[in-house]
Amino acid sequence: MSMAKAEKSVTRSAPLTETSFIGWLHKNLFSSWVNAILTFVSLYIIFVVIKSLWIWGVAEAVWVAENRRECFAISKDGACWAGVIIWLENIFYGRYPRDELWRVNLGGLLLILWMAPLWLPRVKDKIFIGLSTVFLYPFLAGYLFAGGDKGIFMQLMVTGAIVCLVGNTVHACIGVFSGGGLPESLLGILGRKDASDANQRNTLLAVLAIAFVLIYALQIGWTVEAVPWTKWGGMFLTLVISGIGITSALPGGIILALGRRSKLPVIRVLSTSFIELFRSVPLITVLFMATTMFPLFMPEGFVLNKLVQVIIAVCLFSACYMAETVRAGLQAIPKGQYEAAHTIGLGYWGMMGLIVMPQALKHMIPNIVGSFIGLLKDTTLVSIIGLFDILGMLRSISQDAPWRGLHKEPLIFGAVLFFIVCFIMSKYSRHLEVKLSAGANR
Amino acid sequence: MKSTSFITSVAAAVAVAAVALAGATVASAKTTLEIVKERGHLRCQVGQPSPGFYNLDANGEWYGSDVSICQAVAAAIFGSKKKLEIQSVSSQVRFTALANGESDLLSRTATWTLLRDTQLGLDFTAVNFYDGQGFMVPKDSGITSAHDLKGATVCVLTGTTTELNLADFSRVNNLNIKPVTFEDQNVRNDTYLQGGCDALTNDKSGLASNKAAFPNPGDHIVLPETISKEPLAPAVRQGDAQWFDIVKWTVYALVGAEELGVNKGNVDDMRANSTNASVRRMLGVEGNLHDGLGLSKDWAYNIIKEVGNYGEIYAAYMGSGKLGIGIGRSGSANALWTKGGLMYSPPFR
Repeated sequence: MSMAKAEKSVTRSAPLTETSFIGWLHKNLFSSWVNAILTFVSLYIIFVVIKSLWIWGVAEAVWVAENRRECFAISKDGACWAGVIIWLENIFYGRYPRDELWRVNLGGLLLILWMAPLWLPRVKDKIFIGLSTVFLYPFLAGYLFAGGDKGIFMQLMVTGAIVCLVGNTVHACIGVFSGGGLPESLLGILGRKDASDANQRNTLLAVLAIAFVLIYALQIGWTVEAVPWTKWGGMFLTLVISGIGITSALPGGIILALGRRSKLPVIRVLSTSFIELFRSVPLITVLFMATTMFPLFMPEGFVLNKLVQVIIAVCLFSACYMAETVRAGLQAIPKGQYEAAHTIGLGYWGMMGLIVMPQALKHMIPNIVGSFIGLLKDTTLVSIIGLFDILGMLRSISQDAPWRGLHKEPLIFGAVLFFIVCFIMSKYSRHLEVKLSAGANR
Repeated sequence: MKSTSFITSVAAAVAVAAVALAGATVASAKTTLEIVKERGHLRCQVGQPSPGFYNLDANGEWYGSDVSICQAVAAAIFGSKKKLEIQSVSSQVRFTALANGESDLLSRTATWTLLRDTQLGLDFTAVNFYDGQGFMVPKDSGITSAHDLKGATVCVLTGTTTELNLADFSRVNNLNIKPVTFEDQNVRNDTYLQGGCDALTNDKSGLASNKAAFPNPGDHIVLPETISKEPLAPAVRQGDAQWFDIVKWTVYALVGAEELGVNKGNVDDMRANSTNASVRRMLGVEGNLHDGLGLSKDWAYNIIKEVGNYGEIYAAYMGSGKLGIGIGRSGSANALWTKGGLMYSPPFR
């Protein structure tokens, strides 16, 4: 007798609890009378909170007014968003001259343009594009934001940055449409596709040199009005400080972490004491030291720009935190990986760069992004030493004569802005994790 | 003032050490005036926005009575109030930033005290505002004098002299006042408005501006007593007598001009037509008063032309002007000496 049935059994639909909305409700919210009560209480609390927020923030709120008195006259129980709206330029750009705001916007757009190829499919040489963003973009943006006379060094770097930006963009376009790259296309156009490697290299270098000279000549005539750093502020300043801190944190942290695990005692001791010194002191103290003590040790008349001091302090601080994150990642890599790397004949840098670091960093993404988000929020401390970053600006609204006492609305607005930026960062890190561990789940 | 007490103490420690160091190091070969002229603009230091004294407007420009002092000094030196870079620092590092040469002039609400004048390596020039601590109470409480505050709870900012003055006042008058302390003035004000304390104490300028920002300013009154002396004066680094004189006489020029009836509107006319010898000397028509200051002949004219006289500044930012905080001037210490106040300029001769 066979255990198997010969005929097909009747297809039954999934139980009601698994498919319908009612079923879902029953299973998750009203499965017992205790849960039902909890559900109703929670719903009531949510309703009350949202209702009062809605009344205060939207329904009764004042959006257009000349000053806070007028807000009060229109509605006493609603938010006065008018003050925040009138201050928007201050909140985003600080005291940056209003006629020059396009420079800040352009700087932001250029960054997006520069980085966009990193996310596009079929583009080659993404590492080069990434590195050029880190090393050349800051000069172009720095000149755009600060302006003034370009020294010879700045002229060269700005030229390099523009050449690189144009090259990157063309390269990315070719990559997206044909899957090729800029060098091959150039060689094709110039009819050198079949020439020897050396010949090809020389041709490309010649093209690069011509482009460099051409753009150098063009950019000489391009100058923008100087804007002193004291006029920088708002969200713009926050992003500049934390952006530089974030970009320098990873390389700095990797070097310090490797130094701390080094077999050479001098390097190890120096790295360890550096990390421990900065990690055991709060950021605000580092900032105070950098801005008030540091000038005292300098020769008479030597006044370093306060913004630069702050940025250096933030970079050192974030590098030390990053170093410990990276070190944790390094320690999670099994010893076998190091030994395997040695057996195939890799030296120290080969082992670290090709085998260990890529694995370690992949594991550390959540922690690294956590540090970045922390850093972004920490930079608001600079408002205490007198830089008008976004928090400084938001707090200044409550002191401005027409808006005196308006302090809740600006802070809520700031919280929303920060949430948006931080949420995007953490979402992106999640995406990166999934993408990089695609192999692991196969 | 608006930071946590931890930050305050860290900052205070750093600042004290820094000032101690700075006292020994500042000995410049060049005078401050030379440095400022060479640089092409004045670096003037104010505090973090505070009603009446220094504020940012929605366009990112500074305004306020202490900002006007900065502008007046810039005008005296360069003939234009625009040749000025305003720096804003928190109260914890205000003296350090002056001592280490970051700024040329400290024009912010710093109370002139013996200790600060003698131990911080700086000199206070001339008082431009007499402030003092007072109390505000709800009108319907029936309190009309600070001496009625027996056993009352009073909202006060922590870590400030305001808190210490309150304790002194309570002890001396045997009032048993219970202080409720806050880190942030906005939170303090909200608590007071919601009835969390019977009275609120602050400098009277601060009380006036707090009150103006309340939903119903008419429901609150400022009590007549003033329990502390807070003479506010611009300060400069010690050891440069000429620079000290320039700042001091800039303040005096503002007061003197009001005394002589010279203002922004009539200064051109006064310079051309006035027969008053004092006016003619001050505006540089007669005599050589500018020689010792190292400024141009029309320095005082430039101040008045660009900024206005003391009375005009007061009306705009302290008085009932559009940006003002509404503190009455007549009968107060900030009135001219001819009207019973303390504002007095030595003679221009």
